[in-house]
Amino acid sequence: MDTGGTFTDLIFQDAGKWRVHKLPSTSRNPAEAVLAGLEAIDPGGRRHIVHGSTVATNALLERKGVKTALVTNERFTDLIVIGRQNRTRIYDLTYRRPPCLVPDDLRFGLPGRILADGTEHEPFDDAAARRITREIGAMGVESVAVCLLFSFVNSDHEDKMGRVLSALGLPVSLSHDILPEFREFERTAATVINAYVSPRMARYISHLLDNLNPGETLRVMQSNGGGISADAAMAEPVRTILSGPAGGVAGACAVGAAAGFPKLITFDMGGTSTDVSLIDGEPALTTESVISGYPLKVPMIDIHTVGAGGGSMARADAGGSLKVGPESAGADPGPICYGRGERITVTDANLFLGRLIPDHFLGGTMPLHPDRLGPRFEKGARELGLDPVEFAEGVLTVANASMARAIRVISVERGADPRAYTLFSFGGAGGLHAADLARQLHIPRVLIPRNPGILSAMGMLMADVIKDYSQTVMIQADDIDADGLQALFRPMAERGKADLAAEGVGADQMVMERFLDMRYEGQSYEIMTPFQADFRQAFHRRHETLYGYRKSGPAQIVTIRLRARGVPEKPAFERPEPGGTTPEDKAFLGERDVIIDGRRTKAAVFNRDGLRPGNRIEGPAVVVEYSATLFLPGFTSTETDEFGNLLIHIRTPETDGA
Amino acid sequence: MTVNPILLEVFKNRFASIAEEMGVTLMRTAFSPNIKERRDFSCALFDAAGEMIAQAAHIPVHLGSMPLSVKAAIASVRMGEGDMTALNDPFKGGTHLPDITLAAPVFHEGLVFFVANRAHHADVGGMAAGSMPLSRSLFQEGIIIPPLKLVEKWRVRRSLMGFFLGNVRTPAEREGDFTAQIMANMTGVRRMKALIDEYGLAPASAYAAALMDYAEKVMRATIEKIPDGTYDFEDVMDDDGLGSPPVPVRVSLAIEGSDVTADFSASGDQVQGCVNAVRSIAVSAALYVFRSLVRENIPTNAGCLRPIRVITRKGSIVDAAFPAAVAGGNVETSQRIVDVILGALSQALPDVVPAASQGTMNNIAVGGVDPRRQTPFAYYETLAGGMGASASGPGESAIHSHMTNTLNTPAEALEYAYPLMVTACGVRRNTGGKGAHCGGDGLVREMKLLSDAEITVISDRRRRGPYGLHGGGPGVPGRNAVVENGTVREAPGKFHAALRAGDVVRIETPGGGGFGTPE
Repeated sequence: MDTGGTFTDLIFQDAGKWRVHKLPSTSRNPAEAVLAGLEAIDPGGRRHIVHGSTVATNALLERKGVKTALVTNERFTDLIVIGRQNRTRIYDLTYRRPPCLVPDDLRFGLPGRILADGTEHEPFDDAAARRITREIGAMGVESVAVCLLFSFVNSDHEDKMGRVLSALGLPVSLSHDILPEFREFERTAATVINAYVSPRMARYISHLLDNLNPGETLRVMQSNGGGISADAAMAEPVRTILSGPAGGVAGACAVGAAAGFPKLITFDMGGTSTDVSLIDGEPALTTESVISGYPLKVPMIDIHTVGAGGGSMARADAGGSLKVGPESAGADPGPICYGRGERITVTDANLFLGRLIPDHFLGGTMPLHPDRLGPRFEKGARELGLDPVEFAEGVLTVANASMARAIRVISVERGADPRAYTLFSFGGAGGLHAADLARQLHIPRVLIPRNPGILSAMGMLMADVIKDYSQTVMIQADDIDADGLQALFRPMAERGKADLAAEGVGADQMVMERFLDMRYEGQSYEIMTPFQADFRQAFHRRHETLYGYRKSGPAQIVTIRLRARGVPEKPAFERPEPGGTTPEDKAFLGERDVIIDGRRTKAAVFNRDGLRPGNRIEGPAVVVEYSATLFLPGFTSTETDEFGNLLIHIRTPETDGA
Repeated sequence: MTVNPILLEVFKNRFASIAEEMGVTLMRTAFSPNIKERRDFSCALFDAAGEMIAQAAHIPVHLGSMPLSVKAAIASVRMGEGDMTALNDPFKGGTHLPDITLAAPVFHEGLVFFVANRAHHADVGGMAAGSMPLSRSLFQEGIIIPPLKLVEKWRVRRSLMGFFLGNVRTPAEREGDFTAQIMANMTGVRRMKALIDEYGLAPASAYAAALMDYAEKVMRATIEKIPDGTYDFEDVMDDDGLGSPPVPVRVSLAIEGSDVTADFSASGDQVQGCVNAVRSIAVSAALYVFRSLVRENIPTNAGCLRPIRVITRKGSIVDAAFPAAVAGGNVETSQRIVDVILGALSQALPDVVPAASQGTMNNIAVGGVDPRRQTPFAYYETLAGGMGASASGPGESAIHSHMTNTLNTPAEALEYAYPLMVTACGVRRNTGGKGAHCGGDGLVREMKLLSDAEITVISDRRRRGPYGLHGGGPGVPGRNAVVENGTVREAPGKFHAALRAGDVVRIETPGGGGFGTPE
């Protein structure tokens, strides 16, 4: 089940039976909708529940976590404020940072120092630790973070501080547990975020657990695309910050694999923004996310977001350029065609060009007002010296350009050629843009899943159990061989097996994946490569793919990573009853005028629910379903696959010429 | 050709993302801490005449000077396909010697565009490790590279590279940085060609020009809103590091309709020490200030500069003549030039312009031999300070301002890489200027040497704090100290010292100025 901003989605599977339930989210207490949904979908039995929770995310984004204290080395208490000392907008004369999660009076400095090689330069100060603990105890704090320099090499001082703090009975987050990697600001940030949201998460999860039947299990979706136990989620909620979007990508991964397309570019276009990510059998991960002004270096699915969505507003700027977004009309006032908005949005442009069909928007439950568009498009077009059709097409072109840029960032700029991928489109607004976008980027096909509205919940159901471990080691690659590295991985693997066993994963379902973060000595950015016997060569190759060259100089292994994966048996996707090449009459809703490249053209309109596996549609056409509309331009031919997904083949400019 | 507002936006996006991608390549593969951790570099695209089309938003101090480097490269070197020109000569398109620019042409049935990047190398030789010395002439500051063809038909000219590497302290690191710069340009060339293939050369060129017109138009609309008049302001550099009296920096800023003239003629004469700035730095500073007034997200290109006329006097502190020492002009004097332009502008725009920020970059360079590996090391870093307060609120603390935006080196990264130990890093409390809105506090950073090493510090605002505005007080000046054998010794704003293992260097940076009369 997936808690979104508007809806809570549940998908239930039992012995080949699938059931779907959607109900409005209860944002004040998300558990209400979740429990009501669970009751509605199947109250009995021993259910195994996987949950995508936004509790940690929202606590962080809205700064509604708990009062948190931070213990650092003495004379380093401001590190979390200073960060990397840069500003994110260089042309802002009055730049301010977002307020710090831990205020000045709740940061405490502890004497003692560990050095880079793990030796103790200055001993742990027990008396100071007790004094700090007393002070924290007197301040009504609900959670404590501890981050000391080089604790990932030698955790002795952090462990000791943790033991002294345990007298308070508060949750304590130690940095070497949360992120045992070098770079103190980034490690502190992850630890503080964890401490800041963990009591909120614990309360929420405990409440859910209290309302489950005996013997039922609850897992929480993490940002890395895998699930973890409720207990682990309560201890390390920092790993669940991107829970919801990760569900969508995990769902895409599962649907794509079943359909025979393991290489995907996911494209999730919503009302205010668009998320894109790259899947190469597995989702691409990053440890360089930034959220709410803080770096978050725990592994997350690499999702790139741009401020262009259906509600993005168009305007002419002071220099006469057509801008679309990042400002969004949101739900209120919403686009012009919703009845109250005054500013032209991407959705309005789609309606103006005939690609959205008023009678079928949200199953016809939400009336649109196409009559409001004309005068406003004329006015907008006049300001830019265009005619209204050019203007409307321009709004789409500019929106597509920013989305194409996002896709280039996660593909071309990371050494991946879009021509080898399939564009996987979900999210309410994506179907109107996916084909144009694919053609522009030379992506040969688009896959639209069946039930795109519950893809995220589906992804959670299909997700593996994943535990990520890391350790900064900083070794010269020439000073160690594969056996030596295996020995370093061993304690991590032991821990991974034990943790997976605790999650109920059988030994035959465990997979240990090993990775190395490597760089040339002297560089500052590491490249994550799967560990293999010729790990040095693998690194050289990856460096060349990413940056165009390799060096002969010495390489370093900075951090080793282990991903313990529990692969449970997964439910098979439903296969709807097949049909013929031509869609049945009940799927055909008629014809309507659409405008393509400035010309009015007839397009057939189909109802998605009426399409069967085997059906083919030649563009131009429009396919409507409850939560989305799909626009199929003339350069597409589309088939319904055996699972009910739509596969759109794109005739690219090259194939056109051939 | 008529300009289509849709394609204008599309090209704006594409050019910007090419410059940004060049930056990513450079940052991720470079070896100098200045480039990789601290992002002291810039990447930009140019038309065939060397007019800047777009620059990735990295470091403002490179804004005005990048185009001059490319024009100098074009004027001196005939580049064919696969050639690249390197230069760092401050009097031929550069700013100071550590900043090395590499320019590459883009061919499409002839030379049609250029891409270029500039990066701050950690050492380019000269009298002090880190190549930011207290020098008396350019010749002491490192190896001077006039525009020369470093890459020919995609191959590095080994003889030239060897000559260069023979003149620097850390040659392997330098070579790695050059490789990163070359790859960044190759990325730029490849992407520019893909863009031309996609849209055609004529539209790509036409929209490059249209984007300059566009930026000019937005810039003029912004300047138009500033009340006409002439506004004067004066501030000083503490000294030149060799015992000079304070050095005045003066501007007379004339706003007339949508045109600006920034006249620095009345500034002091160039000095013996290293704080002389070349003219392009004054241009960068002016461009930065007026670009900051623009609310739209416009490309930073040659069009932005068209409404701005910068007048300097040859032989002055802001337009030094060969062979003046210039190592610190780029980092220190550049900040003061911004301070005086903003000070003048605050008379016209009291609600927009903030009080002075720290006005220095607090450069610290340490060099020696790492006893763990018996290899030479050169470490360089700049430190944050307080930002000035404004009508809209207090100034931010311990943050880089105006002409720089480089990241700090994490203590853990620094201690892995160098025989140094960070012993303090914090906000320097109560150093922001008092006011209705207080200035931001400075920073304290303290480091212990774990081996014998030489150290150079170039900092300013050690005597006179950053000014407050409209009744706000000045920020507290910065302070430098060295602890030798347990004895604390106050150090001047600019100093060079040979220190021993166990000695400690303590830098306290200035607070920002306050705004409005305190209650």
